[in-house]
Amino acid sequence: MNIRRPASSVFAQVWARGAGRVGLVLVLLIVAMALFAPWIAPYAPNKINVANRFADPSGAFFMGTDHLGRDLFSRVLFGAQIAIVVAFAVISISLISGTLLGIAAAYAPARVERFFLIVFDVIASFPSLVLALAMVAILGPSLANVIAIVAITFIPHFGRVARAQVLALRNAPFLEASRAIGVSGPRLVFVHIIPNISGPLIVLASMDVPVVITIEAGLSFLGVGVRPPLASWGTLLYDGYSYLTQSFWPVLFAGLVLSLATLGFTLFGEALRDAIDPKLRRIP
Amino acid sequence: MAATLSRRSTLKLGAAAAGAAALGFPNIVRAARDRVVVRQDRDIQILDPAFRIGAAEGNVISACCQRLASFKTGSLHYAPDAAETIKQVSDTLIEFTLKPGQMFSDGYGEMTAEDIKFSFERFGIVQKDGKKSSYASDWGALKEVEITGKYSGKIHLKNAAPAIWRTAICDTSGNILSKKAGEALGEKITSQLVGSGPYRIAKWEPNRQLVLAANPDYKGPKPVFREVIVRPIQESKTAEIALRAREIDFTRFEDPVAGDTIAKEAGLKVVKMPGMRYLWIGLNVEKAPLDNLKVRQAIRLGVDVDEALTAAFGGKVERANAMLQSSLLGYWKDAPVRKRDVAGAKKLLAEAGLAGGFKTRLTVLNQAAYKTMAQVVQSNLAEIGVTVEIEALDGGSYWSVGKGDVGKNLDMSLQLFSAKMDPSFTSQWFVSEQVGVWNWQRWTNPEYDKLHVLAASTNDEAERGKAMIRMQQLMDDSAAFIWLTYDSAVFGAAAWVKPAILPNGTDWQFGLFGEA
Repeated sequence: MNIRRPASSVFAQVWARGAGRVGLVLVLLIVAMALFAPWIAPYAPNKINVANRFADPSGAFFMGTDHLGRDLFSRVLFGAQIAIVVAFAVISISLISGTLLGIAAAYAPARVERFFLIVFDVIASFPSLVLALAMVAILGPSLANVIAIVAITFIPHFGRVARAQVLALRNAPFLEASRAIGVSGPRLVFVHIIPNISGPLIVLASMDVPVVITIEAGLSFLGVGVRPPLASWGTLLYDGYSYLTQSFWPVLFAGLVLSLATLGFTLFGEALRDAIDPKLRRIP
Repeated sequence: MAATLSRRSTLKLGAAAAGAAALGFPNIVRAARDRVVVRQDRDIQILDPAFRIGAAEGNVISACCQRLASFKTGSLHYAPDAAETIKQVSDTLIEFTLKPGQMFSDGYGEMTAEDIKFSFERFGIVQKDGKKSSYASDWGALKEVEITGKYSGKIHLKNAAPAIWRTAICDTSGNILSKKAGEALGEKITSQLVGSGPYRIAKWEPNRQLVLAANPDYKGPKPVFREVIVRPIQESKTAEIALRAREIDFTRFEDPVAGDTIAKEAGLKVVKMPGMRYLWIGLNVEKAPLDNLKVRQAIRLGVDVDEALTAAFGGKVERANAMLQSSLLGYWKDAPVRKRDVAGAKKLLAEAGLAGGFKTRLTVLNQAAYKTMAQVVQSNLAEIGVTVEIEALDGGSYWSVGKGDVGKNLDMSLQLFSAKMDPSFTSQWFVSEQVGVWNWQRWTNPEYDKLHVLAASTNDEAERGKAMIRMQQLMDDSAAFIWLTYDSAVFGAAAWVKPAILPNGTDWQFGLFGEA
């Protein structure tokens, strides 16, 4: 049995709301930037031209150049790639792992369930950025480490929600019936349970995307995220901040695009939440 | 009692507010100006003169301890400090008599000649855990300190020691510790400084601040400020913002361009001096494929030093072509000025059997200027087929990355060392004994070692100069060093602060800071 609503109906509801429309447009724009960066970018993002450092925006360089004379527009585009790759990788890993662990916790014996919850609580008790910072300091900065570490910090979010949803659902008549006719455990989980708990998890995932983007940018700003010369929005901000008195354009454009991305994903996530689960809608 | 807001109280309040605004509230807060807040680019780690990491600790130690003689404000001229008299009797003998009644803090009693012997001789003693002072060279010429009376003694040297006043007696390595405290505290001596200087440590909150309070038992001239607060702020830009916000009163800028903007700001001033810190890329000669001379030569040819300096410092620093800066004895004015040669670099790599290039790592301090230079190097070397991974580390991790056996894994590192006004202080870090300590290149050369000893033990300036130039030629032959710059010494300060900075730009005399 499946009690989900069709995706087209959900997106129609998102589009119907003004904020949702703005969010969706911004999200599509950022995703397009990430997907088409290699074709849109006028220059190689890491090509250094020191003689041309701190150039103001012009026809040749839409957003100007940074302290190494690199084209800022190209770096902003490729920065979107890093943001989207990290966000989607982190959310995918933590969504899948958290959901499976949450379901396992719900069906496990009380002691094992308690163990799961304690582990979730321990991880969740640390602020994500601080935990990520500590772990990156130990493991070393790299894109893969950033993804793995941030994903771990987000697993409890999904694990707790998945467990709560399964607990509410596990005695539902359609599940009892499935069990009675001999449906196997894995089939029960993947065909009957997951589709029916996916709504809140998708909402949570969409709301976590901007958080992950800002954590990645924060780690890169602090020098423990992606390694140079990769163009993360966080490193663009850091470089811009370091040379702020020479040129404010890098900080302005990197800050602007980061703000728009987080705003877009937040508005989209809220609209998605309202569409999928109107009970969670905030009272204006 | 209930507070009432009458017409009269409102007028009083208004008048007080107007008065405060007219005088400038920040000035009222700072009216007493009994403290100065100083920024250092990293946190203090070890408060032991013999085992200090560098100038960050040295500045604090020197504010809390006395020396037999000390440098005058911002100068290399010196005058007796703890000593009533101190005299170089011959090349190998210095006699001193202490002033009586100089008390150590924390109740460790009066300073005697025993404390001098303890403080100086410990530089040459291997500790129980096998550690030896990395500053042992400062007192390398010391034979013994002979105690001739409660307050008097003789410093016997093994040989002439031309640098002993500048790098030992008057400098950080000449700070006098309490023998009693050393024996009582044991290992704790590295964190609990017991001195007799103008300040004592009132509070130390790691990674936040260190508060130096005027030492009431100090017998010398009282310092101007009741407190010196030392704040560790790694980033130069953050320090610049903190200075503008008056969160700090004094800082050095790693980015000399910052000086231009600070100079335009009311209430702040900029102090500029010739740079003396030396910055270079060190190549680990033990690590393949950098153990191949041709590979090192290829890397040296592949790097565009001028481009790196323009990118990091806006071209506002002097390019270095050898170890010693022009104001030091032994400056090698004919040192080769290498221009980037991509074809030559590729040819050398091919000769080394690495025509297809290789991967390596460049370790740098996590600061904007160094990361900028690293990215230029990364880009330069990519053109000759060498893929460079940049590893940017914070101070705590960075300064231990070349130590011990861990240092064997280091590939290339962008290093910045402080200099003193004597070339032997600079050359000491590259002797064989420093491998795994501060010689992160792990480069050894017996001739270099011999020349270092010679230069440190003769008063003949011509001979010293000649030895120093030859040592730099040997370094150049090794291609283990890509010299970048002598940095710039640009400081920002509140207009009312009169900083006391020694000519090397790195050593600050907190006890002599004053009001302008």
